[in-house]
Amino acid sequence: MPEVLGYYVRLALKSFRRTPGLTALMVAGVALGISVCIVTLTVYQAAANNPISWKSDRLYAVTLDSWDPNAPANPERPDLPPNQVTYRDAGYLLTSSIPARKVVMFLTQDVIAGGGREGKPSPLSTRVTTADFFGMFDVPFLFGSGWKASDDADSAPLIVLSRQENEKLFGGANSVGRTVRWNDRELRIVGVLDHWEPMPKFYDVTRGPFEVSEDAYVPFGWAETLLRFPNGGRVSCWQNQAISSFADFLSSDCVWLQMWVELPDAASRDRFQGVLDAYWSEQHNTGRFQRPRNNRLTNVSQWLVDQQVVQNDNRILVVIAFSFLVVCLLNTVGLALAKLLKEAPNAGIRRALGATRGELFAQALTEVGLICFLGAVAGAGFAALGLAQVRALYAGGEFTSGGYQQLAHFDAVSVAWALVLAVVAALAAGVYPAWRAGRLPPALYLKSQ
Amino acid sequence: MDLTTLRPILRNLTGTVLVILQVAIALAVLVNATWIVAQRVRVMSAPTGMDDANMLAALSVSFTPRFNYDASLNADLMYLRGLKGVVAATPVDAAPFSHGGATTDVWTNPNQKGPPYSLNTFSSDEQGLKAFGAHLIAGRAFRAEEVLPPVTEANLTEFVPSIIVTQAVAEALFPGQNVVGKQIFDSVGKPATIIGLIANLIGTAPQGLHGADQVAFIPRLPALHGVIYLVRTEPGRRDELLPIIEAHLAGSNPDRVIKWVRTIDRYKKRLYLSDHNMAIFLVVVTALVLAAAALGLFGLSAFSVSSRTRQIGTLRALGARRFDILRQFMVESAVVTTAGIALGCVISLAVGNWLSLAYRLPRLNLFYLVGGMLALWTIGLLAVWHPARRASLVAPSVATRTV
Repeated sequence: MPEVLGYYVRLALKSFRRTPGLTALMVAGVALGISVCIVTLTVYQAAANNPISWKSDRLYAVTLDSWDPNAPANPERPDLPPNQVTYRDAGYLLTSSIPARKVVMFLTQDVIAGGGREGKPSPLSTRVTTADFFGMFDVPFLFGSGWKASDDADSAPLIVLSRQENEKLFGGANSVGRTVRWNDRELRIVGVLDHWEPMPKFYDVTRGPFEVSEDAYVPFGWAETLLRFPNGGRVSCWQNQAISSFADFLSSDCVWLQMWVELPDAASRDRFQGVLDAYWSEQHNTGRFQRPRNNRLTNVSQWLVDQQVVQNDNRILVVIAFSFLVVCLLNTVGLALAKLLKEAPNAGIRRALGATRGELFAQALTEVGLICFLGAVAGAGFAALGLAQVRALYAGGEFTSGGYQQLAHFDAVSVAWALVLAVVAALAAGVYPAWRAGRLPPALYLKSQ
Repeated sequence: MDLTTLRPILRNLTGTVLVILQVAIALAVLVNATWIVAQRVRVMSAPTGMDDANMLAALSVSFTPRFNYDASLNADLMYLRGLKGVVAATPVDAAPFSHGGATTDVWTNPNQKGPPYSLNTFSSDEQGLKAFGAHLIAGRAFRAEEVLPPVTEANLTEFVPSIIVTQAVAEALFPGQNVVGKQIFDSVGKPATIIGLIANLIGTAPQGLHGADQVAFIPRLPALHGVIYLVRTEPGRRDELLPIIEAHLAGSNPDRVIKWVRTIDRYKKRLYLSDHNMAIFLVVVTALVLAAAALGLFGLSAFSVSSRTRQIGTLRALGARRFDILRQFMVESAVVTTAGIALGCVISLAVGNWLSLAYRLPRLNLFYLVGGMLALWTIGLLAVWHPARRASLVAPSVATRTV
C-alpha cells in the first residue's frame, strides 16, 4: 500500500508540474477558505471555552431570585435570577455544611504599598473571598498557600498576591511572611500565586467575561471590617427601603456577591437544593422573595451559556466563514474537473495499459487530497497571520490586557482544525472529480491522439 | 435570444452548476453581511451628544483616614479650572462609555405604580453640563449652591431635589409635553423636579448601547472612595494637557493616588470595539467571497474558451464578427450569473429571515438585495470580459489547423 500511495503522490506531483497555474489556484482557494474558518473557529472556541472543564459539573453558581416583584433583574433574560447574591443570603447559605467547599466573594479596587517600592502606594484590584476559593478553583501557588477558613470570620490580616503583583512589589522573590500596607492596614503575605488567568473569567462575569484576574486576595471578613461600600465590583439594588447606614446596606436586598459551591455528587446537590428551597420558603413567608421561586444551582458550562459569554457575533462569523469555505471548495471542484478533462488523454492511456477504475479514482483522490493538504498548510500560515491581526484589533490597552489577547492565539487546536478541515475539504472537493476520472471512456481519448 | 446560445452551457453542466452555487452563496453573504455592517455603522456613527474628542478623565482614590475630601476636591478643581486650555472640569462618579456608573429607578407618580423607568445618572457639579459639552435645550444648568455634598452611609439612597434629563428620558416619561418643571419620583416616593432638558447623550452604557441615552444629571459631588475629574479641553489640546494634568495631580497630594488619567476616546473605542471589529471582519470575508465567486466565473469561462478554440475559429471563418463571439461568451456568462442570482435571492431571504429570528436583527431591507444583485451582475460581466475578449481575438485560420 505505501508504495502505491508513493506512486500516486509522484504522479500527482508530475501533474502539478504540468499545470502549475491551475494547481496554485486550487491550493490558494483551499488555503484561504481554511484560514478564515480557523480564525473564526479559534475565536469562537476561546469564547466557548470551559476553563475548569475537569470540575465543571461539580462547581455550581448559587443564585436566588430576590429581585423586585414587579420587574426581573435582567429584562433580556426574565427567566434568570440576578447573577449575584445579597450579603444576608450568602451569610446564611455559608452556614450549610453540605457543600465540600463554598465561596462567597467580590472585587474591590484598592491601594497597596510595600516591598521594594516602600512608601510609594500604587493601585491594585483585590478579590475579597472565603478561604475555599483557592482549592475550589484549583488555583496554583508559587509560594506559600491560602488561609484557613477560620481566618475569614476573624478578618485575619493576611493577603495572597498574584504572581504579577509579587513581581512588581518584590521582584519575584519569595515574599511569604513579609508585610504590605493594603488600604493603609498592615497585612502579612501568606501565599503567592503562580500564573492563573482562566478565560472566560467564569467565576465572576459581572465586569465582562474576558477581564483579567485580580492582583491580590484577602479573607472575606474584610468585607465587613473595612466598613466601606464595595468599590469596583458591580452592586445592583432595587431598593424598596432607604439605606442609611453600612449595616442597612449589608442587610439590604442589594446583590453584590458571587457565590459558588462544590457539590461532589447528585445526592449532595439535591440536599443543597433542598436547603435553598427551605430558606426561600421561610423568607417568602416573612415577605421577601415575592417573585416566583427560582433558586438555581448552575454548573460552570451552563453558567457560561446563561451569562451569554459566547456572543451572537461569534456564531454569525462562524456561519459566514463556512459559507466562504463552501464557495472555495466549489471553486476547487470546478478547477479539479477542468484539470481532469485536460489530462483525460493521460488517463485514457493508463486505462488502456490496465489500470482499473478504482485505481484511477484513488489516484485522482490522492491528487486532490494533496492539494487540500498543501492548502491546509498554507491556510494554517494565513490563519496565524489572521489571528495576529485579530489580536491587534482587540488590543484595547489596559482594559483588556490579557483578556482578548488570550482569545485569539494560534495553537495546537488551530492546527487540528486545519487538518480536520483539510480532510473534509478533500472529501468534499475530491470525490466527485475522482469518480468522473474513473469513468472516462479510454477509447475516446486514445483515438484523438 | 435563440436557444442555441444555451447549448454550450449545458455541455459543461457540472461546471455550470458549481458556478451557479458559488454566485448564489456569494450573493447571500454579500447581502446579509452588508446589512449587518450597515447596522453596526449606524450604531457607531450615531452622535454621542458630547464633545468626546476633547475630554479626558482622571481617577483620584484616597486610602488613608488622613485624606481630606473637601480640601483635596477644591485644590484639584481650582488647579484644573485654572489651567490654560481647559474649558471646564467637574467631579463625576463615572466616565461616559465606561460600563460602570449608577442607575436609579424612577416613576412619574409617587406610588411606584407601573413599571420603573431606569435612569443612568451622572453625579456632578455646576460645571457638569459644560464639561460634557452637553447641549441644553430648555431650562437651565445647576447652580453652585444647588450642589449637594457626597452621599455618606447615612443618606446613600437619598434622591435629589433637582435633576436634568435627556430628550429620550423626557419622551419616555412625558411624551409630547414640556418637561421642565415636571416631577419624577424615586422608589420611596421622594420627588425630584426636572430643571433642564438636554439633547440625547450616551451615558455610561451599563447595558451596552441599547437604551444608553436614558441619562440624567444630578447635582451632587460624587463618590465615597474616589473621584473622577472629567476635563474638557479646547479643541485639539487634550493630548498636550493630559501628561501635564497627570504629573500635577500625582504629586500634589500624598494621601491619595491617581489611578489613571485616560482620554474619553479610549472608553468610546472599547464600547464600540466589537461592532467595529465585526464590521471589519465581515467586509474582509465578503470581499474574499466575491473574489472567489468572480474567480469561479472567470475559470468556467476561460475553460470554455480554451476548449472551444477550434469552434470559435470555425465560426469566425464562416463570417461571425469579433463582436458576435464576444457577445456569445458574455451572454453565456450572464445566463449563468442570472441563474446564480435567482437562487441567491432565495438563499439571501432565507438567511435574512433566520438572522432576524435567531439574533433579533432587523428584517433585511430589500434595497440591499437589489443592490447586491446589481453588484454581482457587474462582477460577473467583469470576470468574463478577459476570456471573452480572448475568444473574440481567435483568428479564423485556427479552424483549418489540426491540434
